[in-house]
Amino acid sequence: MKFVAVTSCPTGIAHTYMAAEALQMAAKEMGHEIKVETQGSVGAENVITDKDLKEARAVIIAADTNVDKSRFAGKPLIEVGVQEAIKDPKGLIERAMNLKQSSNLTDQVKEIKSEQKQKRTGIYKHLMTGVSYMIPFVVGGGILIALGFALGGIYVFKSTTTVAATIFWTGKASFALMIPILGGYIAYSIADRPGIVPGMVGGYLASNNGSGFLGALVAGFIAGYLVLLIKKYIRLPKSMDGLMPVLIIPVLSIIVMGLVMGFVINQPLAYFNKALMGWLSGLKGANAALLGAILGGMMALDMGGPVNKAAYAFGTATLGSSGQLSPIMAAVMAAGMVPPLAIALSTVITKKKYTVAEREAGKAAWALGASFITEGAIPFAASDPLRVIPSIIVGSAVTGGLSMMFNCALAVPHGGIFVLFIPNVVSNLPQYIISILAGMVVSAVILSAVKKNIE
Amino acid sequence: MSTKEMFSKERVNFDLKSNTKDEVIDELIDLLVKDGKVSDRDEFKKAVLKRETEFSTGIGMGIAIPHGKSNAVIEPSIAFGRSDKGIDYKSMDEKPAYLFFLIAVPEKSSDLHLKALSEISRRLMHSEVREQLTKAQTFEEFIKAFD
Repeated sequence: MKFVAVTSCPTGIAHTYMAAEALQMAAKEMGHEIKVETQGSVGAENVITDKDLKEARAVIIAADTNVDKSRFAGKPLIEVGVQEAIKDPKGLIERAMNLKQSSNLTDQVKEIKSEQKQKRTGIYKHLMTGVSYMIPFVVGGGILIALGFALGGIYVFKSTTTVAATIFWTGKASFALMIPILGGYIAYSIADRPGIVPGMVGGYLASNNGSGFLGALVAGFIAGYLVLLIKKYIRLPKSMDGLMPVLIIPVLSIIVMGLVMGFVINQPLAYFNKALMGWLSGLKGANAALLGAILGGMMALDMGGPVNKAAYAFGTATLGSSGQLSPIMAAVMAAGMVPPLAIALSTVITKKKYTVAEREAGKAAWALGASFITEGAIPFAASDPLRVIPSIIVGSAVTGGLSMMFNCALAVPHGGIFVLFIPNVVSNLPQYIISILAGMVVSAVILSAVKKNIE
Repeated sequence: MSTKEMFSKERVNFDLKSNTKDEVIDELIDLLVKDGKVSDRDEFKKAVLKRETEFSTGIGMGIAIPHGKSNAVIEPSIAFGRSDKGIDYKSMDEKPAYLFFLIAVPEKSSDLHLKALSEISRRLMHSEVREQLTKAQTFEEFIKAFD
């Protein structure tokens, strides 16, 4: 099989060439052909030609600097740091071999998401693990609550016996679990299974005592590191080893957790929460629009990355605390729908500036955007970041700002177009739709204007 | 000038005495100064250290490739040193360095040192080359690794 690769390290001297050499040696041993373009201090050498690219099965990029990927659009591509190519070139080539050939948009998005997952480390990783376990509870619960409203009217919660009410309360139950789960799985990420107990208990205490989302977040970290400490310093004779996970760790950890939550964490954080909520609900007019614009821009800045997740988590947190419709959530979801929709629109209005493959992907992007899967824009952003990312940030910011300005609010954390028409899920629906459309058009126009013509 | 021509038997030391990164750079510069390839040791050392601050030249796998481009360099040349006990070089893989290549090029030499670096780096990826360099006792054995 033939492969092409690009190696590049920031100083452009040693590692660029070592990686190239490593890949060439490995390919030779595996019986493959590989052409490696080096981007070192002397500039690009052994440049990959169109013919090379056509004959290649996949593209390997081993770089610690930004490599222009637009010429590889459409080819299966794997991107890693330079060290990885030096350490395990054979493994890298194998992974390149196993890349899916027909990269349709949804496959590309899936791959990018799992690559992103592997790169996370440390505090961020723990946080994201917790959030990723929490989100299905939020989404499932939220949609059920919306369904409950749809089937049973706005007073559905007054009953507990009708079908609609049951659905509603089930959703509420799922919702109620989101905060303990957040705490529990942050702790799990840090300390593995034993972390779950204090993490969830801490989270539950947080949700009951007003420190909410933030309290659970803090609780999760405290719980995780607490368990690590217990495991490190408490040593039992071998015969009592079994007692550790079943008795010692749970009891010790929850006692400390409870005391810490009760006497240290809950009060200040509950106060902070109330202040935050108060401030948010007091926001009107220009301030609200500004917040919406900022959140909107964040959603588009690094789709799937920490900034986007932070804005999204903020949105869901406001749902958890106040329970009813949240203007923040509305702005966040609307803004999150814009990037893929805008790109799809752009591929339609300026067909000539996109390759056939990109136009096909644009069709899929309509569906992804409508479903609030912001990541649908990632492959486009990855292949042409300097044009795509600023364009979508502008549109998403416009949408977020408009949504806040029009006082639109949303009761559910996900669902995109599919939840908009359920009664009581969105307030000021016509204005909400206008906000989304406005941002979409703005971004599409900007993007189409700056996109280069395909030669 | 080819990379091989930049080596010389006057500029190899198979038994470095240094214990630290700073000392070993000094020891290597000495080789170049004694051989008349570097006219001003302090100025050249400044160039080498400046380059170190950008990014450690301890590239891992027990190898370090400090280099400097300076007016104090009379002729492009490479000094090779080996420390069997290893020196903490703040390398990228956080392991000690045993093989050292100090590359010196004049200010006006365009990309010569880069070419040398790229060639050396490529060679060093081959474990047989690294082994030969680790075992060599004479210059002749050393230079064979670069055939």
